[in-house]
Amino acid sequence: MTDAVLAFDEVAIHLGGREIVSPTSFGVARGEFVCIIGPSGCGKTTLLRAAAGFVAPTAGRVRRLGRTVEGPGREAAFVFQDYGRALLPWRNAEGNVALALEAAGVPKAEQPARIAAVLQTVGLATHAKRFPAELSGGMQQRLQIARCLAQQPALMLMDEPFGALDALTREALQDEIAGLVRREGLTVLFVTHDLEEAIYLGDRVIALRANPTRDKPSVAAMIDVRIPQPREQLTAKEHPEFLRLRRELYGFLGHGH
Amino acid sequence: MWRAFVVPALLLAALEAWARTVGAASDALAPPSAAVLALARAATNGSLWTATAFTLGSAAAGLAIGFALGVLAGCALGLSRRAAAFAFAGVEVLRPVPSVALIPLAMLVFGFGVRMELAVVAFATFWPVLVLAQAAVRQVEPQLLEVARALQLGRAATLRAIVLPAMVPRLFVALRLAVAIALVVAVTVEIAANPHGMGYELMTAQQSLDPALMLGWLGWIGLLGWGINAAALALQHHVARRMGAAA
Repeated sequence: MTDAVLAFDEVAIHLGGREIVSPTSFGVARGEFVCIIGPSGCGKTTLLRAAAGFVAPTAGRVRRLGRTVEGPGREAAFVFQDYGRALLPWRNAEGNVALALEAAGVPKAEQPARIAAVLQTVGLATHAKRFPAELSGGMQQRLQIARCLAQQPALMLMDEPFGALDALTREALQDEIAGLVRREGLTVLFVTHDLEEAIYLGDRVIALRANPTRDKPSVAAMIDVRIPQPREQLTAKEHPEFLRLRRELYGFLGHGH
Repeated sequence: MWRAFVVPALLLAALEAWARTVGAASDALAPPSAAVLALARAATNGSLWTATAFTLGSAAAGLAIGFALGVLAGCALGLSRRAAAFAFAGVEVLRPVPSVALIPLAMLVFGFGVRMELAVVAFATFWPVLVLAQAAVRQVEPQLLEVARALQLGRAATLRAIVLPAMVPRLFVALRLAVAIALVVAVTVEIAANPHGMGYELMTAQQSLDPALMLGWLGWIGLLGWGINAAALALQHHVARRMGAAA
């Protein structure tokens, strides 16, 4: 896949002498939403961190926009699960978004308009002056997403971004991110341990297995989700395809295999 | 709130009663009322204000130097593992030296006066600030540093936008500790050696067998110390809230 935003070529990752990810290949095409699921400790976050350039592969190579990844780059934005520790508590919402623009060297004069635009996009326009401690968990995560959007990335890497939120907020944010991805034409690699979330959001779901071996590699399944877009919580989750995929993928989350 | 004053008031009343009856001939204690009067006389003849200004002035100046150098050195050692490795032995040997033990040396180098006092205060406050500043650098939330990496924020910008602000609440904890140390050390230097300030006035009153004035000074020093520490604590809490971190 030469037009892939992200490509893994036979990437293996060892940490502390243990094989966390066995040779894995896949690509993420422009505008695609790919979800990675798997049980705890299967290396899904490690895989995402390799895509971000935080972790170097032991073998194989990771490419973003065709170039081999040698470290973090501004073309990839990373959304951390723990928004509470990823936002600067001493800066308000605007200031937190500004960090991305400062890093990218955006002239001071252009910053306010771009900050206002991304805060508008995530629905925080009226909270621009609030500090993270004054925002709810869902709002803090939206703020982190706004900061990532501000860097205008070719690729969003999201590490269980809704894992720490309550069920209702999680569904609301799922719909928001799905809408955002469609409107802005984003490319997303999304890690989650929530099977329904993966199927609901993903164009494609990659299931990883823990403790990969030679004949049972990290990638256990790679499945296209053929549920029409835009999706809606109730109807999508009752769609026959949804139910079929859920049954098919259920086993990879620590139930057998 | 008023409950906190019940026990001190009772103690003062008991001391007053005792000093006026059984201990009327005591050279060591005087009734609190006499101490207040003696202090009022010191206030009218101006010695209260000059001595207070001298002690607080040299404590503040010494604190400013010790704190500034401590923060700078702490940042350097916190940011660079290599610098920390080189400095480790020196820090561990010098840090436990009691600051009071430096008074003779400070007297030889600076003579009597402000400079020797603030040198000892600076030495005494430098070490705890250094240790706390170093820890503050190392305790910056690792995920924030990863955010900086992901955004490709430069080294200088990371220091300015993330490391320094993240340190601030802990630096105010260090400041509060250093304020208390500075006051104690300044008065100690005056009691032990320096013929200036509140500590010296306290000693003079004791040596001229004036327990009322001596107790007056003691009460005044205690009151100032309480007020300054309370202000420093309030400042620390205020900053901790503003900067959104648990101190």
